[in-house]
Parts: sequence; C-alpha cells; structure tokens
Amino acid sequence: MRPPSRRQTDSLSNAPVETVSGEIAITHEDVDRAHDRARVSDARANKSLFSRVYLVWLLIGPGVLVMLGENDGPSMLSYAATGSRYGIGFFIPFVLLTFIMALVVQEMTVRLGAATQRGHAELIFDRFGPFWGWFSMIDLTIGNFLTLITEFIAIRAGLGFFGVPPWVAVLSALAVLYLALVSHRYWTWERLTLAAAAFNLIFVPVALLTHPHWRSVGAALITWKPLPGGFSKDTLLIMLADIGATVTPWMLFFQQSATVDKGLTKRDIRFGRIDTALGAALAAAAAIATILAAAPLFTRHMSAENFQAAEFAQALVPVIGRWGAALFALGMIEAGIVASITISTSSAYAFGEVARRPHSLNIPWAEGKAFYSVLFLCAAGAAAIVLIPGLPLVYVVLVVNVIAVLAMPPALVFLFMLVNDKELMGDLVSPRWANALASCVVVLLTAAGVLFGISVVAPRWFEFLGGH
Amino acid sequence: MTKAKKERIAFDASEEQLVLASLERDQLTEVKKHHFPRRRLKGFQVFVLWALRIYLLFMIAVVIYQVWSSAH
Repeated sequence: MRPPSRRQTDSLSNAPVETVSGEIAITHEDVDRAHDRARVSDARANKSLFSRVYLVWLLIGPGVLVMLGENDGPSMLSYAATGSRYGIGFFIPFVLLTFIMALVVQEMTVRLGAATQRGHAELIFDRFGPFWGWFSMIDLTIGNFLTLITEFIAIRAGLGFFGVPPWVAVLSALAVLYLALVSHRYWTWERLTLAAAAFNLIFVPVALLTHPHWRSVGAALITWKPLPGGFSKDTLLIMLADIGATVTPWMLFFQQSATVDKGLTKRDIRFGRIDTALGAALAAAAAIATILAAAPLFTRHMSAENFQAAEFAQALVPVIGRWGAALFALGMIEAGIVASITISTSSAYAFGEVARRPHSLNIPWAEGKAFYSVLFLCAAGAAAIVLIPGLPLVYVVLVVNVIAVLAMPPALVFLFMLVNDKELMGDLVSPRWANALASCVVVLLTAAGVLFGISVVAPRWFEFLGGH
Repeated sequence: MTKAKKERIAFDASEEQLVLASLERDQLTEVKKHHFPRRRLKGFQVFVLWALRIYLLFMIAVVIYQVWSSAH
C-alpha cells in the first residue's frame, strides 16, 4: 500500500502520515467512516434527482440533531412557560430570532469541522493553550451535567403523566441511550437518534388541537406585539431563558465533533448548511408550536409560573383533552431523551479531544473505553441525582439556562477567533458579512448576560435602564 | 509489533483500498493524532482573552450571589 503524497499546502497540514514501517496505520474508525463516505461518493457520482435527494439524506445529521437536541426538556418547558405567561405576541418572533442566531453560530462549526477535521475542544486546546482548553472542557462538562439533570427531570415528569414510577422512567431513558450506542457505529447512532428527534414535532399537532388564532400569530410576527406587562425583570429572565433554550455551548462542541465524526469534508459544507438550516426550521416550528399550545393557559389566566412538564400536560387537559395532553407529555419525554443522548455525547467528544483519547462513535468498546465511559457515566450520574427526593427541580432548570447564557460568550469568542484563523481555515475563513452577523450575535448574547447580571446585583440600575 | 500494526493486520486489502479511496488524508485517525501548533496572539486578541477572564470572574460572582440570595 502506498501512502498518499504529502501535499505542501500550508504549514499546519504537514503532519506525517507514515508509521515507522513507512505505511499508513488504518484503524477500525477509518474503515467505518470510509464505508459511509463511499456511499456519499456513489450518490454524488450519479446526477439524477433521486441521487441528489439521497445525497442530502446521507449528509444531514449533525445540524438536525443539534437543533432538535437543543429543543430539550427545559427548553420546551421554557417555551410552554412563555406561552402561558405572555400568550401569542412578542415571544413568537423573538423565538424565531433566537433560532436564526443559532443558525449563524452553528454554520461556523460546520465550516470549522470540515476544514480542520478536529473537534472544538481540541482546537481551543491546540491554538489557545491548555488553560483555555481545560477551561472549555470543564465549563462544558459542568454545564452539560447540570443540563443532563434537567433532561432526566423532564423524562421523569413526562413519564409520570402516564403513571410510570421515577426509577422506571430514568432506567428506561438510560436503556434508550445505551441502545443508541450499542452498534458502535456513528451512522447507526445518528439515524436512531434522528428517528427519536423527529418526535419533537409532536408539539405541532398539540398546537393545532388548541385552534390557534392564526391572524394573531401573523400580526405578532410582523409587529412583535403584544408584550403583556411590558419590559420588566421577569420579561428579561424569560428572554434569557429562551436564548438559553436556543443557543448553548454544548451545541458548538457537539456539531463540530459530529461533523468530523460523520466525515464531512470541505466539499460537503453546502450540505452541512442545508442540514443546519433544516434543523433550525424544524426546531423553530416545534418551539413556536409549544408556545401556541400553552397560550390558552394565558387567555384563561391560569398561573403556570412553577409548572413542571407533567403539570403543563395536566393543565392542558381541559383545552385539548386527555389525548392532546398525553401527546404533550410524550413530547417532553422525547425532548429529554434526545437531549440526554446528544449532550452526553458532546461531553465525551470534548473529553476525548482534550485528554487525547480516542473519541468517535465508530470505535469499538475495547478502544474507546474512556470515551464511552464518560458518555454513559455523565448520563447515569445525572439520572441518579434526579431520583433524590426533595430536589428543587424548577430552580435547577432556571439555573441551568442562566449558566448556559453566561458561558456562551467565551465559547462564541473562541469560535469566532478560530473560524477567522487563516492558518487553519485557508479560503474558508468567514466572509465579512458573516463576521458582521456573528459579531451582532456575540454582542447580543453578551449584552443579555450582562443585563441579567445587572438585574441581580444592582436592581436599581436595572430600573434606570428601563426595567421595573 | 506496534498496536497500530496489530490492528492493521485485521483489515484486508479491500478495506485498506476503500479507506484510501474514500477518506481524505486529514481524515485518517493517524493524521489526526498530530496537533496544530499554538497560535501566536496579537495585541487585540490578547486583550480579548483578558476581557474574557474578567467577564467570567464577574459572571461567576453574579451566579454565586444569585444562588446564595435564593437559598436565603
């Protein structure tokens, strides 16, 4: 076997290919990925319409998963709380805007992954040093672990609606997570998780059962009104929670690592964008549907401030009936399960990248003990905590979303610097318009975090700024 | 015999050909083991990283305060 020629393209791509014997060491991971890529090459070679559609089918995955994965338990709870407190109005276009922000950010991870073939944590470690590398990983791990707790809360609450005991609910979710992994193939894992994620759209029929006033929805999308109660600290908190529900650090780490693990190359970036846009559209539809589904609680003046997933479903029974409420509860279960799979995977990817251990869903158990252990133990630890009696679950949900918002600016700054790193990206550095858009998103998210800080530390300043 | 060599023996020639034909050079696991060099940061980039450190300290204080005040 002859090694491929060494192309002297730039100073960062001259890593030696040969092993000591002068040959390339092929790994199990390479073989699995090559099978997936061979199907892509075959589909690309055929120019028929069917082949084009098949090519899209082969190349979608990380974008849809990350967007629907972020429509997780606390996010859907946050959207339901938004609908029940503010009805149809300001928050419909606002949530749409947050998904556009997510699309702008996630597109950068596709380019970065395809151009460098490295995960986000690994690039931060390599390019900015061990301090920021370990910081990013620890920050991500803590944030992910807290978020995982909330996913199992959603699963427990959702299954609780059907009378399933908490320990059975939690064990069932862990079993699903394990089953998705058991093939040790990225492709199988991705397709199983995509199938589960499709159920996120269950919130659309739930919303239709409430017979939304479509003219009000249209008017809200154009005018961004009404905003009952005006702009206040509570409104800001809900806005922060909705931002936290859409743009979070784990998404950057997950999509970049999944892009690499799937084997997307520079040639596939266009499809990566389609994948991400499709995911954003589906996730936005599910999020807005959840707001619409819970909006009748606002018009009926039902206080839903401290509702959990199952309580929302119970409260909706008079509006959409038992079957509709059951669908809502099922949606919460799905949201928790898919997110627990994707979030624990992002922790495992980041760990493997920073600790220099094998990190791929294509590696067998014997090679990837550390990777799979981190993945499963994170989920199992969070699941165990949920079973502790008397845990302030609603408070945990709020803290998670706030932490996600606070941790986002550093993650975005690193993404921004990496995607503009000409040595890494070559011709794929962000164009000026993309940088302008990304800068707006970074500034907006940072401002959201700082405003929240002011509202907590110095409420009087906040009142001066316009809150009350 | 190295671990990599032992593993390679498990794959037949057709699989090796498939890997070489289907994967780009920088997608190979062996290549990915080599890391990118540290970036040399310039003035504004150093400033941004310091601003990040300050931001984090401030925000961590805010979150701790919020947790503490809620607990009391």
